[in-house]
Amino acid sequence: MNVQNRTAQVIYLRERNFMMLKKDLMMRNPLRSVSDENGYILPEGGLGAVVARAGVGKTALLVQLALNSLLKGDNALHISLGDPVRKVSLWYKEVFNNIGVQYKIDKIDDLWNELLPQRFIMTFNIDGFSVPRLDERLTELADQDIFHPQMILIDGLPFNDQMKRTDLHALKELSEKFKSHIWFTVRSHRHEEPDNDGMPVQIAEFADLLDVVIKLEPQDNEIQLNVLKGSGAISAQDLALDPATMLIKE
Amino acid sequence: MSTELNKIRNIGISAHIDSGKTTLTERILFYTQRIHAIHDVKGKDGVGATMDSMELEKERGITIASAATFCEWDDNEINIIDTPGHVDFTIEVERSLRVLDGAILVLCSVGGVQSQSITVDQQMKRYKVPCIAFINKCDRSGANPERVTDQLREKLGHNAVMMQLPVGLEAEHEGVVDLASMKAIYFDGDNGEVLRVEEIPAELKEKAELKREELLEEASNYCDILADAFLEEQEISAEMILSAMRKGVLTRAVTPVYMGSAYKNKGVQPLLDACIQLLPDPSEVTNIALDLDNEEEEIILGNSSTEPIVALAFKLEDGKYGQLTYIRVYQGTITKGDTLINTRSGKKLKIGRLVRMHADQMEDINLIEAGYIGALFGIDCASGDTFAAPKLNYSMTSMFVPNPVISLAIIPKDNKAQINMSKALNRFSKEDPTFRTFVDDETNETIIEGMGELHLEVYVERMRREYDAEVTTGQPRVAYRETITRRADFNYTHKKQTGGSGQYGRVAGYMEPYSEGEFEFINKITGGSIPTQFISSCEKGFKAGLTKGALMEFPVTGIRVEINDGAAHSVDSSEMAFQAAARGAFQEAYKKARPVIHEPIMKVVIETPTEFQGTVMGTINQRRGTILGAQEEGPMCVVESQVPLAEMFGYSTILRSSTQGKAQFTMEFANYRQVPQSITEELQKKKAEEGKGAA
Repeated sequence: MNVQNRTAQVIYLRERNFMMLKKDLMMRNPLRSVSDENGYILPEGGLGAVVARAGVGKTALLVQLALNSLLKGDNALHISLGDPVRKVSLWYKEVFNNIGVQYKIDKIDDLWNELLPQRFIMTFNIDGFSVPRLDERLTELADQDIFHPQMILIDGLPFNDQMKRTDLHALKELSEKFKSHIWFTVRSHRHEEPDNDGMPVQIAEFADLLDVVIKLEPQDNEIQLNVLKGSGAISAQDLALDPATMLIKE
Repeated sequence: MSTELNKIRNIGISAHIDSGKTTLTERILFYTQRIHAIHDVKGKDGVGATMDSMELEKERGITIASAATFCEWDDNEINIIDTPGHVDFTIEVERSLRVLDGAILVLCSVGGVQSQSITVDQQMKRYKVPCIAFINKCDRSGANPERVTDQLREKLGHNAVMMQLPVGLEAEHEGVVDLASMKAIYFDGDNGEVLRVEEIPAELKEKAELKREELLEEASNYCDILADAFLEEQEISAEMILSAMRKGVLTRAVTPVYMGSAYKNKGVQPLLDACIQLLPDPSEVTNIALDLDNEEEEIILGNSSTEPIVALAFKLEDGKYGQLTYIRVYQGTITKGDTLINTRSGKKLKIGRLVRMHADQMEDINLIEAGYIGALFGIDCASGDTFAAPKLNYSMTSMFVPNPVISLAIIPKDNKAQINMSKALNRFSKEDPTFRTFVDDETNETIIEGMGELHLEVYVERMRREYDAEVTTGQPRVAYRETITRRADFNYTHKKQTGGSGQYGRVAGYMEPYSEGEFEFINKITGGSIPTQFISSCEKGFKAGLTKGALMEFPVTGIRVEINDGAAHSVDSSEMAFQAAARGAFQEAYKKARPVIHEPIMKVVIETPTEFQGTVMGTINQRRGTILGAQEEGPMCVVESQVPLAEMFGYSTILRSSTQGKAQFTMEFANYRQVPQSITEELQKKKAEEGKGAA
């Protein structure tokens, strides 16, 4: 389905244009500066968390991480616990259109249609979700050769009560099994104090399993991306979200 | 005729196939004494409620399926408007939703909320139709109205509140407990026509108290007096509860849930009471018209009988006396002899006979006031037309009609079928603007066009059933289109000097992709290099090029042509010459502009039990489909995808066989998208073969 799977020698002109466009978008993408040479922030089989209070921009950041991997030619699986497929789709469309406006791309719709097959949205009711269940679904998709995600985003994991350390272990195993990179969101609350290392209470006990933890915090006229945990390029960066478009800026 | 608007209800009954809509309608007509005996619905085979009710109508000679049936209940007038159950005919469904002020959402107490209920509900949401729910078939085994109420909340997002409790379920279903009055209601007599009101059975008392508490809590959100009374634990009357709930229903904030079994004659009369008590009368609904003189700007209509007339023709029917046009009057009063304008065609029409439809007869009336539904005889129009007073150029429906995406050749079996077929086609294309028909010049076949395979199938079926026209159908064809992908210049001279007066014309300019519409022509000629009188000929010439693209002979869309230079000859230039020059220029530039083929992409939504999720996704993948996502909802899973229409033929059979008949899908047009190179090559090969075959 994606470009790499096609017969290697034939590159149609239309696709070449898209490849150039994608490359261009990636070059200008602020996330590039925090990625390794292959364009990944997380190591293969890694886990990353995006922590923020409600309404600060967790989903927007997840969607941009997903778009980044779509542009790279990777497949992204977006799992939402609670929101219907249509709403998640709208998020993507909105963020992508904003990128189109920001970088003045005129063929944004065509490019979007090109990227669409690489994205897969899966939604569960919060009660209906469990890591083994996700594993079952993913294995099914992979066995039937329907979808192989390199990037998995999970929005709305219930960290307050349901998630246990074993679940996180299982998630880590899943990430390794599918050779993917898993990002998930964690909702924090204003009144909760972080632990001694500055980790939010929800994930403090799992922090050792996580490779990267980013906290979104509103500050003046922007939303700061504070890296609570991470190694390499990511830890030294100074990125923020523009609250008007929710796009990452340097 | 009653003249008080608050005693009128225009309601629809919308339901999933097989949830008992026909039976419920039948019982309503019986209890309102419109029909005098109850018959059972026979031959239910799940093919479609509309079809079986039409058959029924034929056998019985009554108009259950008529577009609007009038009945009276407790001194109130109820118009029951037929809402088509199939989702493919969006236009028809939308039209009927425009006409209703409120609806009864019928659900099966066993099957609960199913995918079609979701679609129907979404349409009601879109048109903001207030509704009450009726959970039918409480006599069936496995009946569980509480679970269905929960589903209403979870799956459809309704704020569903039980107004009743069942007295006994399944075979023991005897009646209902009314939570507003805290009485049990039983239905005696041969046909349940005698209501017996008693105290609540002891074993239900506690549960009824609990549920009433929930009801009061909800009702107190809409009425301060009730809220105070509730907090102070005063006695609260049934009237207070109903009037509070009514406020909630009108704003779609709450959906009261009633229950019973229409088949076993339980719970229908309380439902009728609820329609009067809870659903809006015409004056309580805001109706919006579009001002055609002002770029379809929205105008709120007045609902008053004294304002200039605005009425919508929402359904046509063929009767013995010619065409019967059902209308709803939104404002003003239509009287015999009035002259109105059909705002779609601009034609004047004079109102002749006015009637009102009953279940098995019609009644002549003299006027139809705002808020009422009636029918006209002898008016030539299409359904969806708006009739307005001469000075108003309003339309009740948008003038935008999507282009058909699929076509089918139909061949009548014999001469009689031929005559009936043309009658039927004439009627259908008037009823449904998305259904079109024409005769192909090359093959001489009659072609019908529409919005999907099922859409056309149903019309072919209706031709057979209603018009007795046996037709055979050809292979369905997808409406491909061609368009260009880059700018190309042209500079074409048309010159002919072979005896007689010559022909001369030169046009130069460029064409480029145009995403906002089908075609745009821009004239940038300066200094009169092409004389003004020939400019329109140039446009005509370019337009002629659009009918058949050079690539595959599909219609061309999405092109902007600009002419900026040219030349004319004082003697030899003519309109003909410039048309020919423009045609030539179009061909010249078109090839250079890298033409591509576009195909219609459908949004396909499949509801399947979770265990078949993978299989279903597999079928989408095999069809060049893109899966947008999968939504898990308990034991069911909804897969949303986009699939090229060309790959969807016969999909219902495939889906049924691969999921043991447990999955169902809906399909609607999404957009046009470029056909992949490999498929284009295939199409070209096919075309070449067909060409050979023809030769």
